[in-house]
This record gives sequence, structure tokens and C-alpha cells, in this order.
Amino acid sequence: MIVLHAAQVAHELFLWAEQPVDTPAPARKRGRSARTSRANPLPFGAGTKAITGTLAGVLGENWAATRDVQRLTISIPARDGRPIASTPLVAEPPQEGSEIVMSKWTVEALRLSPTQATQLLGECLDRETLGPGVLIARDLRFWAGALRFASALVARQQFLPGLARLEDGWYARWEPVVGGVDADRLQKLAAVMPHSARALTSDPEVPPASPSAALTAFLTSVVDHIVRSGLPSAALPPLPAPRRRRIFDSTHDQWMHALHEDDGFMLGGHDEIEKLAADIRSWRLPLQMTEAAPVKLCFRLEEPPEPDGRADAEPPGRPKRTARKREDLASWFVRFLLQPAADPSLLVEASDIWKDHTARTVLLPRGDSSPREYLLAALGQAAGICPRIEACLNAAEPSGYPLDTAGASEFLTEKAAALEQSGFVVMAPAWWTGRGTKLRLAARARVAGAPLKSPSGLTLDAVVGFDWEVALGDATLSRAELEALAKLKAPLVRLRGQWVQLSADQIRAAVDLWKNGGGQMRVRDIVRMGLGAAAPVAGVEIQSAVAEGWIGELLAQLDGSAPYSEFGHPEGFEGRLRPYQLRGYSWLAFLRRWGLGACLADDMGLGKTIQVLALIQRDWRENRRAPVLLICPTSVTGNWQKEAERFTPDLPVLVHHGTERMRGAAFRKQAARHALVVSSYPLLHRDFDLFKDVAWGAIVLDEAQNIKNPETKQARCARSLQADCRIALTGTPVENNVGDLWSIMEFLNPGYLGTNSDFKRRFFLPIQVDKDPHAVERLKRLTGPFILRRLKTDKTVIADLPDKLEMKVYCPLTKEQASLYAAVVRDAEQELDGAEGIQRKGLVLATLMKLKQACNHPAQLLGDGSQIPGRSGKLARLTEMLDEMILAGDCALVFTQFAEMGAILQRYLQETFGREILFLHGATPKKQRDAMVARFQGDGEAPPVFLLSLKAGGTGLNLTRASHVFHFDRWWNPAVENQATDRAFRIGQTRNVQVHKFICQGTVEERIDEMIERKSEISARVVGTGEGWLTELSTSELKELFALRDEAVQE
Amino acid sequence: MAWWRRRRRYDYSDFYPRSVPIEAKGGIKAQAKRGEFAESWWAKRWIEVLEGFDIGARLHRGRSYARSGQVLSIDLQAGGVTAQVQGSRPKPYSVKIKVKTMKEAERAKLMRAISQQAIFAAKLLAGEMPKDVESALTGAGMSLFPERLNDLDTQCSCPDWSNPCKHIAAVYYLLGEEFDRDPFLIFKLRGVEREHLTAGLGRAQAAAEEAQVTTAVDKSEAAGEPLDATPAAFWHGADFPTGWLGEVHIPPMAAALPRRLGAFPFWRGADRFLDAITPAYSSASLHAQRRLLGEE
Repeated sequence: MIVLHAAQVAHELFLWAEQPVDTPAPARKRGRSARTSRANPLPFGAGTKAITGTLAGVLGENWAATRDVQRLTISIPARDGRPIASTPLVAEPPQEGSEIVMSKWTVEALRLSPTQATQLLGECLDRETLGPGVLIARDLRFWAGALRFASALVARQQFLPGLARLEDGWYARWEPVVGGVDADRLQKLAAVMPHSARALTSDPEVPPASPSAALTAFLTSVVDHIVRSGLPSAALPPLPAPRRRRIFDSTHDQWMHALHEDDGFMLGGHDEIEKLAADIRSWRLPLQMTEAAPVKLCFRLEEPPEPDGRADAEPPGRPKRTARKREDLASWFVRFLLQPAADPSLLVEASDIWKDHTARTVLLPRGDSSPREYLLAALGQAAGICPRIEACLNAAEPSGYPLDTAGASEFLTEKAAALEQSGFVVMAPAWWTGRGTKLRLAARARVAGAPLKSPSGLTLDAVVGFDWEVALGDATLSRAELEALAKLKAPLVRLRGQWVQLSADQIRAAVDLWKNGGGQMRVRDIVRMGLGAAAPVAGVEIQSAVAEGWIGELLAQLDGSAPYSEFGHPEGFEGRLRPYQLRGYSWLAFLRRWGLGACLADDMGLGKTIQVLALIQRDWRENRRAPVLLICPTSVTGNWQKEAERFTPDLPVLVHHGTERMRGAAFRKQAARHALVVSSYPLLHRDFDLFKDVAWGAIVLDEAQNIKNPETKQARCARSLQADCRIALTGTPVENNVGDLWSIMEFLNPGYLGTNSDFKRRFFLPIQVDKDPHAVERLKRLTGPFILRRLKTDKTVIADLPDKLEMKVYCPLTKEQASLYAAVVRDAEQELDGAEGIQRKGLVLATLMKLKQACNHPAQLLGDGSQIPGRSGKLARLTEMLDEMILAGDCALVFTQFAEMGAILQRYLQETFGREILFLHGATPKKQRDAMVARFQGDGEAPPVFLLSLKAGGTGLNLTRASHVFHFDRWWNPAVENQATDRAFRIGQTRNVQVHKFICQGTVEERIDEMIERKSEISARVVGTGEGWLTELSTSELKELFALRDEAVQE
Repeated sequence: MAWWRRRRRYDYSDFYPRSVPIEAKGGIKAQAKRGEFAESWWAKRWIEVLEGFDIGARLHRGRSYARSGQVLSIDLQAGGVTAQVQGSRPKPYSVKIKVKTMKEAERAKLMRAISQQAIFAAKLLAGEMPKDVESALTGAGMSLFPERLNDLDTQCSCPDWSNPCKHIAAVYYLLGEEFDRDPFLIFKLRGVEREHLTAGLGRAQAAAEEAQVTTAVDKSEAAGEPLDATPAAFWHGADFPTGWLGEVHIPPMAAALPRRLGAFPFWRGADRFLDAITPAYSSASLHAQRRLLGEE
């Protein structure tokens, strides 16, 4: 376990790390650090070897060779001289004591070159860990975000060539220019910087840099690097020093060369370079001026007054009206205002500033500059951008200038951006900036032709005739109106009191679209238009599709304005579907009817499995018997099999897994006979050739987040299989990770969301990175029809959910587990034959214990401290479920009866999730128990998972923050388990509690579970406590009980 | 100053074989490849003074010297310009142009003329010489530009007897271009510093000048801010705010920022300044966008 941190020191980024003290760290020589600084080494500071070793492991071997290490001073909050670590995973914070104060320590820190910094930070985006046990601290994630900001500056070309003087000489550099809106963004970003991001220093006497200064220093170094790494040809190699000077005819040429080569070092006489630096400064002076001022010049475009309030009644472009004349006369006005940087809500009109000498006191409380003088200087600069501004400077006291409609349009489309880019503020009317509803000229398709009444036999591939319609907002325009608009040539038109921008090109394109008339189109494309996913046609935006009859109905059903038909219980389905499950399965059937892919994204535990089984059952009964291929993680194949056995016993299910699985023609033949073929993601790729030759009725991906990366083999295979119907199941909240959505939608409805890079540009960056609510809205509209997600907290949808839901989770054994299990059984069988009395009793209980351990994890059975990942089916399943649960913001209790298993789980889960996991067991002192419970029940950053040993945590505690309870292993006594479950299900619990009982299929765990279910014969014996009743079984019964069945191993 | 340098009546150039200058490298090249050297009215006025001398083909030669980068350096100070021009001899000729500086009284008049209308200063700051300045000066009995022969004192170390010679002309033309870019240079030449002129504008200007000297790194070392000992603020900070990244689009016009700043002072690079840096803008922009989209 290691926690990686990064901090900016002067103009470089340094990496350091925390490590729990008990993990073996390279011994430190005490004397040495004392000489370099008076501060002591940070107790949990990681050594260089640990850092470089970790980086080499996760980023590549070249990191192992990093030698640029310094011992720096770090300031850290401490209590009574004990430093407080960034997470309790590193060191428990001292709970009590005097006030927390800053204290100085030393740590070994790695100096990152810009190349290293960008590589490392690029890997840290949106992640909690870099790998198992490699945690990314918040400061490191902050710098990863700052790197994004730097990239955005470069993408927007906000940089200039410059010259910087560093310790060893002059360097040509590409420097960021952070002005105007970018300056506000930088301030916003600086405001969220963790203080640890600037807590390192090489000189403890110097106060730490301010957040914005540290951020600026960081941007300065990475922007240069990003620009250089994106230069047209690969960066030029640095010239050998002696030649360097002679080869250039001038300092300017050398500067240009240095800007385009790797390091940018400038050789040459000091005076010569000083002169160049001075020239660069004077060249940049105009930019500096606008940035340094405490006020900003604003330009506000004001609409012409409404003509006698009659505008409302005026539809656009009625030929009779002399609209053109009216619009031309309308006078727009660009008003000059000053806005103090400190208080942007305060706006003072230029006219007030000319008039009133005291305006300065209002504007600038400190009074260090006259607003009149600034106004003049800024207007002078703006004059260079916009000739209209220059013209009005001839007036003595300009307050703004009038514009006609064409001028206003030009101001909005051209000048505004130029002024903003130069650091001025532009205030445009709301209808322009998009804050209001923006009216636009758009086309929509009206489906013509006789609508058919019965939809049977109709598909999305049916071809229908349609005509184009052109509309402004909701108002449809007639052709005459459109042509009148075209003649008007006014770029801005007032429609019902609201201004609309109409470019001549747009109108021409719309007229052309019309002239060419409609045509024929597949219903599929009509649907795409109807949902707003269609690309513009001939330059005209497509707004929607209008249709009547079955197509209209389909559109309405898809956008949720009309209901789809709901089915009752499928014939032969065992058990009852809850109303929301009936709706879910009807919804799947509805989309399936139209050959559209569906993503069922209900919360964990709401029964996605049985909704899919219901659909298959219905098809089977209605004699649609093409097999359904279901792909799921290896750890849940058994679960599917069990659920199908229980709910749809009619359905022939083929589980395709293991070394004995069928191949070739035999598989094809068998597959065709089954209703459901269950296989796993690894086999999807390995047996792709087998799968691709079967005519599947449907392909269902369970835990579809497994294909979230579209480039993986699994995702490619999933996309290229042929099927009439595609369904994706996932409990991961898709809206939380937009990046994963594209791949799933591409599987479901190929091409619907456009290409992946289009998608990233339009949705991923705006939503994931910038949290743009408009983009969220658009994406919702596009994908809404294909995603059904119900939350268990949503009582209006799921009114009938019981407060406590119990589920069995069937897990496979790994091969290693199976062979260990078999060995235990073999030994036991031999010994059982001769054993009697107490000895036999002990033997039975000991065997039971060992078998349970084998089912849990080989490392627990062997007790050898061996590695954890990839060796246990239960652990794999638990990790998957916890991951889903944590993403959904839920909390869980995990019970095990073995303290040693608890310790294994704690370590593994902490390293996997990079979060603290609480663990309460018999040896936990009372005081600490109370603290753990209080922390778990607390808000916000509290740990999401609480591990408890069944005996220590099974009674008395109140842990209602959890809405999931896991029983990792079983104590075959329902009373004890229920008592534990009730830790979460108590007074104060406001949500449903889901109880997941883990069972290894094909093992003693499953057999005993079945016995308890069949209560009749053993219930009396079970009423006691413990598992003693098992010892009374006969030897043959026991052998039967312990035996390992084939289905246990699923790989 | 040698007496003969003043003489310009006789044009001896016809008697000498036309000299071919040694090719110069890294000289200041005129940005105007053809046509007029100056665009602004004030720079035109400057050039007019030169062209008012009847020096025949030397004007033309001076122009091509200016274009081909024969002028190796120009140093502009109050009261005059010194320059190095590569001619046909290995050692560059040195050119001096002396201009009368304004006297204290004249300076005061100038300041008064400018302060009468704040627009003058605004335009000057925007890199524009307000036309009315000249008339305001004329009204005060002064002239901004050297008008008569006596206002100018030019020298060149070349053997050409004519004054101005082509070397002087070349320097003169290049100065015109620089004035285009920065009208303050004209005042500087006349001994009035930019700071004096803009003093009326107060702190806005001063603050800008201050800001430009301190680079980002200096700032981070100078302005400190203490660390917060609250563990949450210290270790966690806050979540990224809405809209902190901004749009990630490639601007329609490449290198808009340097374009806005205009020509580089006394540019001596082999390629035109904007031509030399624009490709970097286009490709870096694309690269950064791809990086953001995770495509690189």
C-alpha cells in the first residue's frame, strides 16, 4: 500500500508518497537527514525505492531508473507532534490531544520532468488507484485536472512564444496566456486545490506559494511541454553547443529554433538575449495591460425597444408586411460599461464615469486608478479589434454606439468572440447565449402516406415516404414564408417577441431542402430523427420527425409520451413478478419487437435476471425458439443457471464453460435446441468462431460494464455477433460514467450515437469533465428511450418492494480452490471410516471448517500469507458487487465467521478500492469499536464498507447506514445470520436492505443450504445453535454432503 | 562630422561601378515584401522626409537593402539611431541618424496638447498616433517630424559621397516600419519617453508595466499564502467546479493571439515572424485536443 502525492515546488512538480509504517521500508540512515535539515523525516514518508518500484510496476520499467531525488521539507497538520496522514490507511489519526497545527518534516521526493509529469498525470485522470495498493492522493488528482486545463489552453491556442530565465540560463518557451474567462477558470480551479499540493518546499524559510501562483507555475511548465510535443515535425534535436551559436544569423533565428526543439536552451551573449527579452515584453505589452487592470471593460448589446408591443402578433416574414424596413430601422445599441474584477455584479455605465468623478470610489474602493483613464486605454485597445468602437472614439465622451440589425448580427457572430478572447467582457442577450430557449431554423420530416393500422409485420426497415417541413421553434413555416424570409436578408428576426438568428446560408439550405422535396426513408432513420439523433441534412439541422399511425405511436412510446403494452406473467413462469418487473420485461419486449437494443440498468437486487428470464420464457411459449446467448462474468454463470432452474424450469439451459465444453458442430446443434446458452466474457472472445455461426434470437450481456472499453476484444466480439435483439444489463449507474455509455450503446444500437470520437467531443468532455448540464440533457434525450433504470429508493416506482430482500449469490471455485477442496475431502474420507465418538465429531467439524476455508480463499486455508488476487470465486464476485454498490453511493456490511478471512478481505479491498475499509473483530477493543461504529454511521467521507466477524459484530451494534448485507461465508444457523443481518435492518433504517448470501455452488455450502431450505427433516435439529447437528449424519451422508460436484468450477 | 558628408549636390554614384553588397545573414528584414513601406499616416510622414531628398536610385537601392536584410542592427535612443549595414565591404558600415530632441519647454507644450483630449492618449496606447496630435503641435509652433534639412543629421561610414546614401535610406525605411508598429518610438526619438507621455493615464499603465516584468515563477516565489491545518482542507481540497475546463475546440483562425499583437519589433529572423510560428499553433492545438479526448 502506497499513497502517491504531487506538489509544485517553484517551477517543477515533485512526487512523494506515504506508506504505512508497518510495511517494510528501506532502512533510513538517521544521521544524514539531520544534516540537511533540522526537521525529522516524516514517519510514514515512503523511500525513493518504494516510489520508483511502484511506478515501474504500474507505468513501465523506465520509471525504475528515475534518479532525480531530493530530500525536501513538507508541512503537514499534526497533533502533539504526531503528523496526520492523508488517509487512515496510512496511519490512524491521533484522536485526541491539543490543537492541530502545521509541523515540518522531510520526505524524499522525485523531481518529475515535464514529460514524466504529463505521462503520470495522464494516467491519474478520474481514477482512485493506479493499480492494486497504489492510491492516488487528492493533490495528485488535482494536478491531473490541472493538466487537462493546460491541454485545453493549448487546444484553444492561448499561448505565446516567450523567453524565461532559469538557474542555468535562458530558455525559449511557449507560455500560457490566461486572460478573460480563462483567468476566472484558473481562479476557480485554484480555489479547489488541496493545500498539500503546495506543501513541499526546498527552502523552509520561504512561505508556501499561493494556490494560483502554484497553479500558474505548473501551467507554465506543462503548456510548454504540450506545445512542443505537438509540433509539426518531431521536435528538432538540440544542436551541439559549440555549433549552436554560429549556425544562426540572428538571435531571432536562434529563438525560433529553440522554440521548436526539445529543451529550448538559448546560447548567446547576455546583452543580446536581454534585448530579445525586452523586445518580447514590449511586443506583449498590450495584452498585459488588459490583464493587470482592476476593472474590465464590458460591451453590452441591447435590443431595440419593442415596437408598440405589437411584435407578439407578428409571425415571421408574412409577405404583406414591410418587415424589412421595420427591422432595419430598429436600433440596437452596444453600451460600454466598467466591471470591477473584484465584484463582477457591479456594472457602471461609461456615461456615468464621464459625468461623475466620484465613480472611482464606487468602482475601486482602494482608489489606485482612475476608471476614466482605464476606460480610455481599454477603449483604445478595443478599437483595434472593432472599427465601430474606433469610430465612436471621436466623440468626446463615448458611451456606446448604435447598430442596425445586420450590425448586431455581426457583433454577435464575429466581434463578440474577438473581444472576449482579448479579455473584454461581452454581455449578449439571453436568447443568444443560450440561457433562454434558443429558437433555431430546423427541418423536420413529416411522414406521408396512408398510416397502417395494424403494426404487425411492420419493422424499422419498412420504407415510408416523407416530406420536409421547416420550422422556427414550434412554428412551421410555409414555403412562401421561408422565401419571404430569404428575401428579407435580415440575419436577426423578431418572432413573437423573441429574436432569432437566421443566416442567409441556412435559409438557402432550407429552401433547397424543400425544393428537392422529401423522399423515402427507412423507419429506423425516422426514429433517429424523432429522437434528435440525426445528423444535419445539407446543412440544415434536423429537429424531429412527425408521423401519424403506427410510426407516430412508436415515436411517442419511445420518448415516453405514450405507454407501451404491458404483459402479464408469462405462462410457465414460476414465482411472481412484481409490478415494476412486469413493466421492465414488457419494456424489453417492446424494444425487442422493433429490433432495438435495450439497456436494463435497475439497481442491484431489483431482479434484472428474472425480467430477462420472463422475456425468454414468453418467447419460448410463443414458439419463438431461437436460442438466446447470455454472456456474463465467470463468477455469475452459476447464478444464472440457478435462477433459470428456479423461475423458468421449462427452459432448456446450456451452460457453456469449462474444459469439457462442446465445440464445433456439436455446439451448434446443441445450442439450437436450447432456450438459453450461458457463457462468460473470456469465452466470448475465445469461442467467438463458435458463437458467430449460430442464429441467435438475442444476445444478452450481463454486467455490461465489462465492454465499457470499446477497443477490447470482448467489446469487439460482442458488437460483431449477429442477433435479432440485443440486451445489456448493468447495475452500475450509467449516468455517472458517460465514457462507458458509448460502447454499450454501440453494442445495442450500432451507429446511433455516432463515432466514438464524436461522442467524446459532444458529450464525454462536456459532461464528465466540465459538468455541462445542457450536454447532460441532450444525452438523456438521446439515450433515454433505450435505458431503463429504476432505483430501489424510488418508492413511487417500486412501492411493493419488501423492506428486506434476501438473495443467494452462487459463486464458482477457481481450479486451485477445487483441487484444495478435493484434497480435504480425500483426507476426510479416509479418516472418517475408522473414526468414532468424540474423535469423529471433531473430525467432521474440522473438515467442515477446512472446506469452508477452501471455498473462501486458498490463502485462508493454507494460512501462508500468499497473494490474494485471482484465486477465489467468492472474492471476485464480492469485489464486483461492492464496486457496483460503491459507485451507486451505497454502503455495506460484510460478515465472515473467520477473523483471518476478514483481515485478508480488509487488505485486499482497501488496495483495490483505495479507500479505508473498517474491520471489527473479537480482538478489537471496546473503545475502538465505538469509534468505528460512529465513523461508519457518520456522513460524507465515511468508509463505505464495514467488515465484521460474525461473532463480534453479530449483535448489539446499530449500523443502519448500510443498505446491503453480505454473508461471505455461512454459519448454518438462520437465527445467527438473521441477527447479524439485523445490524443494518433496524429502527432508523429508511431504505430497503438487501441481503446477499454467498454460496459456492457444487460444494458442501450448497448442499447444506438446500438441506436448510428443505427444513422438514432437520429444522428441529437446526433450532439449536452451532453446526453440531452435522456430526450426527452418517458417514455416507457426510461423504455425499462433502463431495465436490462438476458445476463447482466455472472456468 | 566631416564637412563633405553634408554635400549632396553631386551624385557620384554614376561614376562608380554598381557595387554588390555582401549577402547579410540575420539582418532586419522589412516585413513589407513589396509596395509601400509604411501604412500609417505617421510612418508615411517619416518616409516622406527621406523621399523629399533628391538622391535618385539610392532610394530604390535602400529599399532593396531593407528588404534583403542588409541592416544588421538598429539601436534607437533619444536623439538618434545607430545602425550597422552590410555593404560591399566585409566590415559593415555604421549609420548614424541624429534627430533634435525636444527641449523642456517643448515637451511641456506637447504634454499639454495631448492632455487636452484624453482620446489622444487612449489612441496612443492602442498603438495609434492620433492625427490631431500633429495639428495640435503645429498649433503650438512645433513639429513632430523632422521637416527640414537642418532637422536631420545623417552619417554613414561608406565611401559614397551622397548623403543620404542607400545605407541611410535602408535604415530609414525600416524605422518607418517600426513606427507603424509602435508610434511611441517617434516620441522616444525626440527624447520623450513612453512613461512621460502616458503619465496622464496614471496607474493603469504603470501596473501593466510592473506586471510584465514579473514572470509567473517570480510571482509564485514572492506571493505566499499559508497552509490550512484543517486536515480536510489540507489533504482533500474540494471537487472540481462546474465549467472549469471551458470548451475544447480548435479556434477557426490559427495563431490569433500573435496576430493580434502584430509584428515583432525589429524582426531579424530568416522567415517572417508569423510564418515561423503559425504551424506550431495549428499542430499543437490539434495535438492538445486529441490528448484531451484520450486519443493520444
